[in-house]
Amino acid sequence: MAQLLLVEDDPAIRSALVRALSDRGHGVRTATTGMEGLQEAVQHRPDLVVLDLGLPDVDGTTVLTMLRAVSDVPVIVATAQDDERVTVKALDAGADDYVVKPFAPEHLDARIRAVLRRSGAGEDGSGVLAVGGLVVDVRAHEASLDGRRLDLARKEFELLAHLAARPGQVVSKRELMAAVWGLPYGGGDKTVDVHLSWLRRKLGESASDPRYLHAVRGVGVKLQAPA
Amino acid sequence: MRRQVVVLVTATTLLVLLAFLVPLAVLLRTLASDRAVAEATREAQSVAALVAVTEPDQLAAAVTVVNQRGPRRVGVVLASGRQVGADDEGTPAALQLAQEGRSFSASVPHGRQVYVPVDTASGRAVVWSFVPDALLRKGVTAGTTVAVGLGLGLLVITVALADRLARGTVRPVRGMATTALALGQGELSARAPVEGPKEVREVAHALNLLAERIRELLDAEREVVADLSHRLRTPLTALRLDVDAVRDHELRQRLDEDLDEVQRHVDGLIHEARRQVRTGVQVTCDAGEVVRDRTAFWGVLFEDQERPLAVDVAPGPHPVRLAAEDLAAAVDALLQNALVHTPGGTAVAVRVLQGADGRSLLTVADEGPGIPPGATARGLSTAGSTGLGLDIVRRTAEASGGRLLLAERPGGGAEVTLELGPPR
Repeated sequence: MAQLLLVEDDPAIRSALVRALSDRGHGVRTATTGMEGLQEAVQHRPDLVVLDLGLPDVDGTTVLTMLRAVSDVPVIVATAQDDERVTVKALDAGADDYVVKPFAPEHLDARIRAVLRRSGAGEDGSGVLAVGGLVVDVRAHEASLDGRRLDLARKEFELLAHLAARPGQVVSKRELMAAVWGLPYGGGDKTVDVHLSWLRRKLGESASDPRYLHAVRGVGVKLQAPA
Repeated sequence: MRRQVVVLVTATTLLVLLAFLVPLAVLLRTLASDRAVAEATREAQSVAALVAVTEPDQLAAAVTVVNQRGPRRVGVVLASGRQVGADDEGTPAALQLAQEGRSFSASVPHGRQVYVPVDTASGRAVVWSFVPDALLRKGVTAGTTVAVGLGLGLLVITVALADRLARGTVRPVRGMATTALALGQGELSARAPVEGPKEVREVAHALNLLAERIRELLDAEREVVADLSHRLRTPLTALRLDVDAVRDHELRQRLDEDLDEVQRHVDGLIHEARRQVRTGVQVTCDAGEVVRDRTAFWGVLFEDQERPLAVDVAPGPHPVRLAAEDLAAAVDALLQNALVHTPGGTAVAVRVLQGADGRSLLTVADEGPGIPPGATARGLSTAGSTGLGLDIVRRTAEASGGRLLLAERPGGGAEVTLELGPPR
């Protein structure tokens, strides 16, 4: 369980998020303005801050810059802008990750857990996941198979990390779409499929002869060490 | 324009120079001729003074001296009919006229001759002085050359000044043209240099104001889109979070799916609004390159599903009026449509050809069951797809100034062709 600080001005989103994150086992404090959020972050030292970029008093990016001056608490920014310039600016200002509104609670929760793992505040604190000969270092953003380093694109890595955190579990494409892309899943969308195909190639296997990546027809996909 | 100004000034100056130089040359010639005739008359008159008081032999000696000294040739016919000095170059009629007491000058071969009659005790004698052509035109060539030289000098100076003036006008105009072109190609920070004549400076200033206005409008439009995005996505977020609290699993799943649908439409709407902001400026990309890149990306999935994917890009660049990311999204949608709407193992062919009027034709053809009836109205709206994909494809084609064409292939299967417009 992690102590979170939620800085969000919209009351509907705030209360819904408090409930959703509490349901998932987090302790949540809230702030409605940027200045209040800064105060809370300094006084109560949360494990992680979820910061809305569109705040009424101070611009979220400014809050982030000010927060970074006094604390290295992990920050996930929430923004209604899926414009890359906005997200890049937030990441440059010191954000650890971002979610684009509207996001599903499980999506935000997955991001929170990933960031906490990276920052060492997660369950085991190492941030390294191992499935058979496959090693995924979430913090270093590196993966290797049987000691050989894998050259993965960003989304491929995130996909692998998400699956590696749930070895043996069947993960739906809908969940992968939400967790890795922050997008809703439509039946006509083959984004997840094509990235899985690339991942398979880089893992040196094929759909007809799987070793680690197993498609479960109609349900999703699972990552499993070969028997 | 610079050349035209120079040509105009040259022509005008030449006309003015000709209007002055031609009369000047005529005047010079007349003056030289008059001067030579006047000198000859004076000489003839001084010889005439001698005729009255001198013996013919002495006169002959004096005339010989005069003829040896000067360029003119003087001759005398005495009352007795004896001729002294140079020969008479004139006609007998002219001599006759002089003998009647008339003093005049007349044209003779190779020059002019002055006749001066003189009355002596023994009768009327006539003195003539022949002026050769060279003497009549003495100084004319030099004078004309100087005048023409001065005229040419004047012409060169005028042309140089005109060229400088034209350059001073043309350079800022050319600067404005470059700026306008850059603005048209989307370089909104381009500004025209404010220089040159007053009117040109005013135009440059107006162009810069216009550029500033375009930038402001685009910024305002961007803000509207950003605001739209915020206003639509914030309540949607609240809704998503609230749905999470629904305990009935089945109901929650259904609500989630409905929300996915709403979100996809909202995303499409925002993307479209943003595209209009983006295409407010000139964009271009190579359709061949985009197709090669996207088919290479999707190729692995086709391979995994054992679907042959043939890619045929005609040689040469295929410039189209679209941002690469927009065309890539359209190609992605077409390939995904083919994956969703055809059974496994179905062959898909992607072609890029050069069309008429600089257009490019991008075709995705499959050997699947074809296009379901009624799907052409707003894009394919069948199992697994919302139709949004093909809607985006249609908008992309139209944004480039082209269109979307759906056809059934003769052997069965669907053929989707994007007619893409060339960059402006």
